[in-house]
Amino acid sequence: MADLPERVTLLGIRHHGPGSARMVAEALERVQPELVLIEGPPEGDALLDHVPDLVPPVALLLHDEADPSRAAFWPFAEFSPEWRAMVWANTSTVPVRFFDLAAAASLSDDDPTSPATDPASPDEPRRASLDPLGTLAAAAGFDDPERWWEDVVEHHTDPADLAEAVAEAMTALREEFADEVDDRTLRREAAMRRNLRQALKDTDGPIVVVCGAWHVPALRTLPPASADNALLKGLPRRKISGTWVPWSHGKLATASGYGAGIDSPGWYAHLWECAPAADAVPRWFARACTVLRAEDLPASTAGAVEAVRLADTLAALRGRPSPGLSEVMESARAVLCNGDDTPLRLIHTRLVVGERLGEVGENVPTSPLAADLNRLTRRLRLPLNAEPKQIRLDLRKDTDRERSKLLRRLEVLDVPWGTPDTTRSIGTFAEAWQLHWRPEFAVSLATAARHGTTVEAAARQVLTTQAATATRVVEAAETLSRSVGCELPEAVTASRTALDRCAAAATDALELLSALPDLATTVRYGSVRGTDPDLLRVALHGLLTRGAVGLPLACRAIDDDTAERALAAINGAEDATRLAADEDHQETWQQALKALVNMQDAHGLPGGRATRLLWETGVLDSEAVATRLHRATTQAAGATAFVAGFLRGSAALLTADPRLFAVVDDWLTDLAATDFEAALPLLRRAITEFSPAERRMLGDRVKGSTRSTTTETTWDEPLATRLTTHVKALLSTPPPNITQSSDIQDLRPLADSRVP
Amino acid sequence: MTTETVLRPAAERQYAAELAALAQADDRPRPPRWRLSPQAVVRYVLGGTLPDGTVITPKYVGDRRLVEIAVGTLVTDRALLLVGVPGTAKSWLSEHLAAAVSGDSTLVVQGTAGTGEEQVRYGWNYARLIAEGPSEAALVPSPVLTAMRTGAVARVEELTRMPAEVQDSFITILSEKALPVPELGLQVQAVPGFTVIATANDRDRGVNQMSSALARRFNTVVLPPPATEDDEVQIVASRAAQLGRALELPAEPPALEEVRRVVRIFRELRNGSTVDGRTQLKRPSGSLSTAEAISVVTSGMALAGHFGDGTITADELASGLQGAVVKDRVSDTAAWQEYLEAVVKERADWRDLYRACQGW
Repeated sequence: MADLPERVTLLGIRHHGPGSARMVAEALERVQPELVLIEGPPEGDALLDHVPDLVPPVALLLHDEADPSRAAFWPFAEFSPEWRAMVWANTSTVPVRFFDLAAAASLSDDDPTSPATDPASPDEPRRASLDPLGTLAAAAGFDDPERWWEDVVEHHTDPADLAEAVAEAMTALREEFADEVDDRTLRREAAMRRNLRQALKDTDGPIVVVCGAWHVPALRTLPPASADNALLKGLPRRKISGTWVPWSHGKLATASGYGAGIDSPGWYAHLWECAPAADAVPRWFARACTVLRAEDLPASTAGAVEAVRLADTLAALRGRPSPGLSEVMESARAVLCNGDDTPLRLIHTRLVVGERLGEVGENVPTSPLAADLNRLTRRLRLPLNAEPKQIRLDLRKDTDRERSKLLRRLEVLDVPWGTPDTTRSIGTFAEAWQLHWRPEFAVSLATAARHGTTVEAAARQVLTTQAATATRVVEAAETLSRSVGCELPEAVTASRTALDRCAAAATDALELLSALPDLATTVRYGSVRGTDPDLLRVALHGLLTRGAVGLPLACRAIDDDTAERALAAINGAEDATRLAADEDHQETWQQALKALVNMQDAHGLPGGRATRLLWETGVLDSEAVATRLHRATTQAAGATAFVAGFLRGSAALLTADPRLFAVVDDWLTDLAATDFEAALPLLRRAITEFSPAERRMLGDRVKGSTRSTTTETTWDEPLATRLTTHVKALLSTPPPNITQSSDIQDLRPLADSRVP
Repeated sequence: MTTETVLRPAAERQYAAELAALAQADDRPRPPRWRLSPQAVVRYVLGGTLPDGTVITPKYVGDRRLVEIAVGTLVTDRALLLVGVPGTAKSWLSEHLAAAVSGDSTLVVQGTAGTGEEQVRYGWNYARLIAEGPSEAALVPSPVLTAMRTGAVARVEELTRMPAEVQDSFITILSEKALPVPELGLQVQAVPGFTVIATANDRDRGVNQMSSALARRFNTVVLPPPATEDDEVQIVASRAAQLGRALELPAEPPALEEVRRVVRIFRELRNGSTVDGRTQLKRPSGSLSTAEAISVVTSGMALAGHFGDGTITADELASGLQGAVVKDRVSDTAAWQEYLEAVVKERADWRDLYRACQGW
């Protein structure tokens, strides 16, 4: 075993530790090496030239060319020691290399289903079953390893002799816990040694090695090369390509599930930035006050002064060299937040974690797809923000329409940058989106790159493929509506064809019907989207006709689960028909419902619902409904289902609409005593789905304590007539911005009944 | 010694030996007029063993950081506001801090709706005022004024119960550290060491909400209810034993099992669900604080000592429990009965308690 030559300086660091970063920067200045080695995958070497084009936090993204979803990130922040080493090497034009195990090998160790977890880089020891830093911290009497490291290393004022101390501590630890080192770590260290030997051959000058403190002991001696080669034999080889991607402080935080993260990237960045001026604590509270004031919370400068004093006192009381994160947060809570946790959380999100997003310059090679996305975001003035943001788009404006198109196309590519916000009221021409860029989208982008070189081409490719492989009507209909949203005519045509194909092959009427609501919405918005709505309406009519024919049969001899599906399909189809079908096809739909109602052996649930829908449109009169209710109660089996289907989801209507109430009321009072007793459990079960408040309302209605809306009520006759005429006028032509036609059908009987 | 003749001696008397030992062993710098160094104050409150073997009993069981923030606040001569739901040891902590810092925990202003400005600033001895005219001899200083002159800690209990305008007379005192006496044309300047510890109750915040001008002059420390059942059992058991001694109760301190039972009942009702989280419970209207749990146990001890055989059983606890839980006759009775039926009855080893409670 050969000892390491003197000219090699080993710098054991804590990944993303500003103290370590200071140590590295200082050591590089002192040693002036001719070669710098950094822990990281050698495949990234080619990308190191681009360091001047980057604004951290950024991450090195490497992925398997054959399978781009097999990917890993190596993130670097402004205060990462590795980043300092890269920057130093770049400005002093000293060659710099990554010297860890090749990503080709480390990627295959990794579970391919979780590409976002980092397989190779930071803080390996802290994820092992043993926590070496924790052990050291406990030995020093600290309850929290982060604090210990902060006190001993990050706040260390003289970084020069730090490297040696860290190395010694780690050597002792490695000896004690030799058994805990897993195979992967050993392989990685063998690779590091091999690359180090190569580096020693390549240069005669001093070399600086920057790697995780845990690995330092393994690099202090160089065993015969053959032993390492044996360890590294037979590792998989694959073609790896990569790029730099913007990263965010939020992603560096442990809270986001990134295994080797740090809790407080914002605080560390602050420490790093303030180190030269040595005003970290006062500046921190000044920034905290700014954060609070931005939210209209009181935060005075006098408060900041007191907070600084308290933080200093706490540090002294605890025997720490200077206030750490816990001291500043505790004094912020006591002084600035009046002991309240809510404003403190604000400080935590904005300052302790921070939402800084890095930047990657234009010269950095990216996939053509990513470049296209960059071009588009610049042209459409939609910056990639790490903080969630709401936007509203008016589709009549060209830019907004282009933005909506882009967001929808990205959604197709598995990059859900924007999520449509359906909770806010949306008309035909307006869309609300919630934008939130997450750095891991870079992987989806890399994966999507094989589909095309532009966002448009890739989305088209994905949609046409989906259309071609669709086997079920619902899938085809969904592809169709997505294609219309993305405004890709070829994809629209392809999915139209797919829809016809699937509809022809479909035997299940319910499946056909359940595709209708989606399609109806598409028909309504098609014109805005530049697709001919008639083309789509034809498709809708085709599905409706086929579905209507099959409906009665599909409701026969079915189990309860299928009946639920049938009920949902009928509801959806009813809405869709009102919304988008022409009169002929509305008639077809009504015929289907009639056939269903008249079929004796249909399941009660869809049967009851069909009865109700026909009654609402006036096809069946109240007497016919009463007859059917009577008939239903006489057959034991389907009775509950029928009543449930009839009443489902209409508690409010039942309370408010005297006509419907009368129908049910008459039916109940007409029942013979024995029949009533038999019907009681059915009825009970039918209304169990009503909420307690609805049941109470209903009960009040029965007792007559709610103000009834029957004709006894006095009102201003002419005014009522004018009102009802107006409402009827509104209802007869559904306005374009009402998407839920159920609103209309629920209102209609109500409006009618008020006409004296 | 006078300690034996009073019902409850002040903290600095009761723990005089501990304070003396701490002062003896304390080699760290002390702020002006402090009896102990800040580190020693923290140790006094949280307990520990001194190098010479003296055992310091823990006065406050809970997060060390909270105590450190409180002491840190006093070092920076800021006023300290302890906030929490009833029975979270606010006054207890304030008394011990005052005792450890200035050796005197008796400079107290008790806040009530009837507290007037003269209790915060100064009053007059009217006989003298009329006889001699305004003079310093006719001035009756408030505890706050005394503390300012001597550089001690003044305590304000239940700050938010005072009328708002009385609360606001603290603003000048806290920001200028001075109290003008216009009648005599002089101004009393506080000497180093003066500070204020106030307590306020979360639930009663609405009574006389503190003005934000005043709130800004305090550092606020929120005292939470005991975090775990074990912590709470420790608090109740040790306090009950101490009180039992002080009140000369003939009963033995209760077995830990009985204390644990009381604490569990209190915690479950307070949180509105059982320990295993399976059963949802109605919450009674009372605060069910740790302090009340202590009083249930001590009253049980008194009952057992005077009317029983000296050991606490379920029978002795039952009456106290009933009284602590049922504050509102209608709604709390329902909650308590529901708890008895749904939880107490179902626990096999709690049958004795169930039977005892049924009798009430």
